[in-house]
Amino acid sequence: MRVLNPSAHADGTDRTLAYLLLAPTMAVLLSLTIYPLIYSIRISLQGESGNWTLQNFARLFTDQFFLSALAHTFVYAAVALTLEFLIGLALALLLDTQIRGRGLFRALLLLPMMLPPVVVGVVWRLMLNSNFGAVNGTLKRIGVNTEALAWTASPKLAMASVIAADVWQWTPFVFLILLAGLQAIPQEPYEAALIDGSSRWQTFLHVTLPLLKPAILIALLLRTMDLLRVFDQIFILTEGGPGFATETASLYIYRTAFRFSNFGYAAAMSFVLLAITNVISVGYIRLLQTRVSEARS
Amino acid sequence: MNYKPTRLTKYVLLFTLTLATLAPIYWMITISFKREVDQFAVPPRWFWFAPTLEHYLDAFVVRSFGQYLINSLVVAIGSTVCALVLGTLAAYSLARFRLPGNLDRKLALWILSTRMFPAIVTAVPLFLIMRDLRLVNTRLSLIIVYTSFNLPFVVWMMRGFFAEVPRDLEEAAMVDGDSRLGALWRVVLPLVTPGLAATAVFCLIVSWNEFLFALVLTQTDDAMTLPVGIAGRVTQYGIKWGVMSAAAVVAMVPILAFAMSVQKYLVRGLSLGAVKG
Repeated sequence: MRVLNPSAHADGTDRTLAYLLLAPTMAVLLSLTIYPLIYSIRISLQGESGNWTLQNFARLFTDQFFLSALAHTFVYAAVALTLEFLIGLALALLLDTQIRGRGLFRALLLLPMMLPPVVVGVVWRLMLNSNFGAVNGTLKRIGVNTEALAWTASPKLAMASVIAADVWQWTPFVFLILLAGLQAIPQEPYEAALIDGSSRWQTFLHVTLPLLKPAILIALLLRTMDLLRVFDQIFILTEGGPGFATETASLYIYRTAFRFSNFGYAAAMSFVLLAITNVISVGYIRLLQTRVSEARS
Repeated sequence: MNYKPTRLTKYVLLFTLTLATLAPIYWMITISFKREVDQFAVPPRWFWFAPTLEHYLDAFVVRSFGQYLINSLVVAIGSTVCALVLGTLAAYSLARFRLPGNLDRKLALWILSTRMFPAIVTAVPLFLIMRDLRLVNTRLSLIIVYTSFNLPFVVWMMRGFFAEVPRDLEEAAMVDGDSRLGALWRVVLPLVTPGLAATAVFCLIVSWNEFLFALVLTQTDDAMTLPVGIAGRVTQYGIKWGVMSAAAVVAMVPILAFAMSVQKYLVRGLSLGAVKG
């Protein structure tokens, strides 16, 4: 009887059912991710009169705005990732100990990452406003001269401001993944290190960090993907300004397509962003796999 | 030196970081209840001000934020239901049937990989496709797009939950004369209800929070979602800070309730890319 032999390959009827159940999902995903990609390739290769041309891709390499938008994206991603990782790790270590009210702290600390990015943008517009913002208001109160601190309106500080908002929202994410990683580490290696007489620092370097590596890599991978495509909070906080100071790749592509209606060129640029994200994620996944095979051997 | 942070240092650090997390949210909430004189007060008034509801009335009665709220609800619930129905069926198939040539595993990975595109890559062509279909500025366009966002996530979450249900249960039901789908409906689904609920909440959060596609696809009052409405107020000159904050507070409240209800599933959900689209 087939029902009593479930581990074998699905037989005729079951196989038909298996495909039938998968069909709607596949249809939706094919028409909403694969078809748009093909559509996008087509428009990126067509000129205004519908002729085939590589001019959109040729333009990429000479477009100073695009190159500097990419540079902004990398700076943004690198600085935010570093800060989010360091603070997230510190928080995870802090909460991976016996502490009263741990569940409450965890729940409160996780709040920002659940918020709509638009709300985060509003929150930081209000905090950083140079006239009535809480940040400058508080600084003034403790005697700091805030005249030069225009934050999102200042070409020099705008990048720092949008990064601060990102760190505020997404450090909890890194923290959560790392905390889960820490709690999955068994007690034995720590006991062994204790018997060896290792210092806390040595234990951290030689026991905690290596065992936490998969969690670290997953947190960094997911954050890097999101940082490279960042759009929402920057759109609300600075709209890429002042001038071009915080214009990242996604914002520039958005502007090219939806403000200047140059969809072909926007599509070409989006493929560069896609390629960069893919190369970096493949790098992370390689690292993850080597870690796993090292752990096995 | 063998430095060991004292209990006190730990608590001081934790309190400081929790304060830094919550103070900005609290500040926005106070702005939404402050009259303009209090909003612009220097030094900032954190606690003592005469509260007012004028900004909430202004936003949701005078202006169109009530409509945006309804749009957001329709889009979030519609896309969550669609993704749950389609995704659960696919997940059940992937969890229970082995297909020739490891096709089931390959399909599962492919489904997950569709989530990895930067949003802007599909936003450009999807706008043009929706324009050709005359669906721009309709809530339906967002329901369709968010369904495709949430599907991979639903498939992976539910595949995990189905795998935890012993096969014997549904096989017993099938020996008793149930069809496979009957067994899924009557025996398996009730067992994975908590997982299904958590998955639904994650989908609601993603759809509720999403901004880029909503911005691209909905620009009229009868279609735009709350985030787009808020963004429209922010980027204009002469910002009404109170109105904006009131709308942002309303956009935030359901999220707080949701966030509390899925604490247990957060790690699993987030590793599969929940919350951020």
